Amino acid sequence: MQQQLIDHLFRHHYGKMVSILTRIFGLAHLETIEDAVQDTFIKASLKWRTSIPKNPEAWLTTASKHRVLDIFRQIKSSKTRESLVSSSAEAMRMTEFFLDTEIEDSQLRMIFTACHPKLQQVDQIAFALKTVAGFSSKEIATALLTKEDTVKKRLSRARKHIQEKNIAFKIPMGNALPKRIESVLNVLYLIFNEGFHSNKQDILVRKELCGESIRLCKIILKNETIRTPSSYALFALMCFHAARMDSKIGLNNEVIDLKNQDRSLWYFPMIELGNSCMYKAMQTEHLTNYHFEAAIVCEHLKAASFNDTNWSSILNWYRQYVALYPSPMLYLNMVMVYLQLERYTDAKQLLNDLNVDDFNQRQYLYHGVWSEYYAVTGDSVNAIEALDKALVGVINKIEKQYLLKKRLELTSSRN
Amino acid sequence: MKKFMMIFIGADYSELGLSPEDIQERMGKWFAWNQKMQEQGIVETGEALTPQVTRISGKDRTVTDNLALESKELVGGFYVFKAQDIEAAKKVAMDFPDFDLGGTVEVREVMVFDN
Repeated sequence: MQQQLIDHLFRHHYGKMVSILTRIFGLAHLETIEDAVQDTFIKASLKWRTSIPKNPEAWLTTASKHRVLDIFRQIKSSKTRESLVSSSAEAMRMTEFFLDTEIEDSQLRMIFTACHPKLQQVDQIAFALKTVAGFSSKEIATALLTKEDTVKKRLSRARKHIQEKNIAFKIPMGNALPKRIESVLNVLYLIFNEGFHSNKQDILVRKELCGESIRLCKIILKNETIRTPSSYALFALMCFHAARMDSKIGLNNEVIDLKNQDRSLWYFPMIELGNSCMYKAMQTEHLTNYHFEAAIVCEHLKAASFNDTNWSSILNWYRQYVALYPSPMLYLNMVMVYLQLERYTDAKQLLNDLNVDDFNQRQYLYHGVWSEYYAVTGDSVNAIEALDKALVGVINKIEKQYLLKKRLELTSSRN
Repeated sequence: MKKFMMIFIGADYSELGLSPEDIQERMGKWFAWNQKMQEQGIVETGEALTPQVTRISGKDRTVTDNLALESKELVGGFYVFKAQDIEAAKKVAMDFPDFDLGGTVEVREVMVFDN
C-alpha cells in the first residue's frame, strides 16, 4: 500500500504557495498566481491517481513555481516587456523565498494584507479565508452562511481595493503595527467564533474554521516581533474552546450546555497548551477581551464537575471585563453567574437595569435569562411566559429545540 | 478473460470551481480506485488526457485547433483492463469516482479477431 497524503495538504499548500508567489511577483499579479496554483493542484490530482510522489509538498512547490514562471514568460513574449525574473541572481533569490522561515513570513504578510484597514471587515474575512486558508468561494459561503455570489463580490472588492489603493504586501512597521495586529487578531477571532459558536453548519465545516484560525494564530505566535500578550490570550482562548468542541455537540447536532457536557470528552493536551499560553498572555498590565474570555473559560475547565465551578472567581472576571468593555451580553452572562451563586436579588436588580431593545436579534437570550431567573426562584408561571417570549424571537433551529426542551421540563414539573 | 476499455467523459476539474480540499479528496478517491484495480491485477494501461482538443475531419482534412468542446462532452481519460465479461467490467466501472460531478463512463469491449 502506498502512502496517503496528510489531511488538508492541498489547502494548506495553496495558502503557502499563493503567499510566496505574491511576495515574489507582487499583489498586482494575485489573480494570475491563484489560477496558476489551482492549475498545479488539478495537474497533481491527475498525475497522482496512480502513484503519489515521495515528497508531495516539494512536487507541488516546484510545479507551482514553474507554472507561474511559464505564465510570466508568456506575458513577456507577448508584450515584450522586461522579464520579472530576468537574471539568474534573481532566480537564486527566488529560491530563498521557498525556505520554511520565509514561507511563514510570506503567509504573515498575506494575513496582514488581508486585514488592511482600507478593506471592510467582511471582505477581510473572505479574502483571508481564500488566500491564506485556501478555501474556495463555495466553501467560504458555506462557512459564513452566505451566498457564493456574495463571497465572490467580497473577494473581488477586496482585490480591487488592494490594487487601487496600492496596498503593499508587507507587515506594517511603527505606529501602524499595533493597530494592524489588533485587526488581524480580531479577524482570526471572528473566524474562530464562526466555527465554534454558530450552530448552523455541520460539524466538519465548524472544525475546519476553528482549525484554520488556530493554525494562523500559531504562525503569529512564532514571530517574535509580532506576537503580543493579546495574541497569546487569543490563542489560549481558542485552545480552551477547541478542547471541549466534541462535548458541546450531541449526536443529533444539538447543543449541550456546560452543565450537561461529558467532561471526560475534553481534550486535556489542548487545555495544557492553553494554560501555558495564558501564562505568557498575563505578562502585561493591558488586558484585552481575549484575556477575560480565556480566563472565564479557563475557570470552567478547572472544575471537575459543573457543581465544582468556582462561580465567585468567574464573577470577578466578569466584573473586570465589563469595567473595560461594557456590553449588554456581558451583563446578561453576569446574571447567570449570580443565579449560580444564588444571589437572586443581585440577579433581578441587574436584569431590571437591562433594556431589552439593546439586544437586537438576541432578545430571545434576554427573555431566556429572565425565564431562568423565575425558574430557579420557583415562579414557573412567569418562567414559562418568559420562555414563550424567547421562543418568538429565536431563529436558529438548534437553539429553538433547546428552549422547547426547557419549556417541556418546566410544564411537566408544574404538574 | 476479456479486454475492456473505460472511457471517462465530462467532469473536467478545471471547469468545476473545485477547492484545493475538493481536489485532494478527488485525488484520494481515484488513487484508492486505481489501487484496488492494481491489486486485482486487471489494469493494462490508462491515461489522463489534457483538455486541449485538436480535431481533424472531412475529406479536406480540416484542422480545428483548441476545439471548444463543452466540458461534459470532453473525454478526460481512459483505462484498458481485463474482466471476465461485461457484467464484471460494469462492476469495475461503478467505482468511477466522479459520477457526482456529472461524469460519465463508457465501457467498451475490445474486439477480438479470429485467425
